Amino acid sequence: MNAQIEEAIEILKSGNRQDAERALETLQGVVYGFGMKVCGRHEDAQDTAQETLIRLARQLKEFPDARALSVWLYKVAKTQCLMSRRKSKFAPAQMLALDDLMPRESDLLPAAKKSWQISPEEILLNQELRGRLEAAILALPKHYRLVLILRDMEQLDTREVAEVMGISEETTKMRLHRARVFVRNALAGYVKHLKGGEKKGHA
Amino acid sequence: MPDQRCKRIFAMLSDYLNTELPVKNCRELERHLKGCEPCIAYLESLKNTVEACRRYQVRKFPAPSRKVREALRLALR
Repeated sequence: MNAQIEEAIEILKSGNRQDAERALETLQGVVYGFGMKVCGRHEDAQDTAQETLIRLARQLKEFPDARALSVWLYKVAKTQCLMSRRKSKFAPAQMLALDDLMPRESDLLPAAKKSWQISPEEILLNQELRGRLEAAILALPKHYRLVLILRDMEQLDTREVAEVMGISEETTKMRLHRARVFVRNALAGYVKHLKGGEKKGHA
Repeated sequence: MPDQRCKRIFAMLSDYLNTELPVKNCRELERHLKGCEPCIAYLESLKNTVEACRRYQVRKFPAPSRKVREALRLALR
């Protein structure tokens, strides 16, 4: 679990008014950010943050430890996200089959391999690529998207993701792998195009 | 992917990156990777994608709403 969240919850549970504002800002950032990643719309993320944090305030004294409350926080935020979405559309609830996600041989030829030499920094600093990453995540069917966001972006461990999702750890791992491959493959075409363009530009 | 062994390895890549792969499978995967360039390249690209997700942050967020502040004020009383 993200240590920042647990620390913020500990502060609120302790009733320390002096640090409460900072702790609340932290949790607002976490839950709003989670809402943006899942729903892709400011209004939905704002609703998610508001409803989740109001419920958190009411539950502060009910939970014995901050970790249990952190998991609960994500469960509520997840449900709020799914309920509060407005015009945004989730991708249809489909299954991702591993066979369909397997790369083709042509994607693995030496030229294609070289074209994927792109660092995580390059992905995030390039506006177009960052946008493609966001679009690929939003294009995932929701049960895969939630697992990827919780595990890779919110950095919960497998057991915690399984708990938030109400599924087994094995199913969590299976969904995570398919979601990662889906996103990787969605970026691949654009990365290849980008790298090709750069080479032409330098010629 | 080139062959059935690659297909089997492909299914293990995320568990490997998460260090959640059983030791026996881990050895099998690492043996395979020594001789399979396409699998090495795919693993690298998957690793970079995961790392980009890990580092991704929503840049701006609004301040907590008045309703949230009020609920917290009541809770801390």
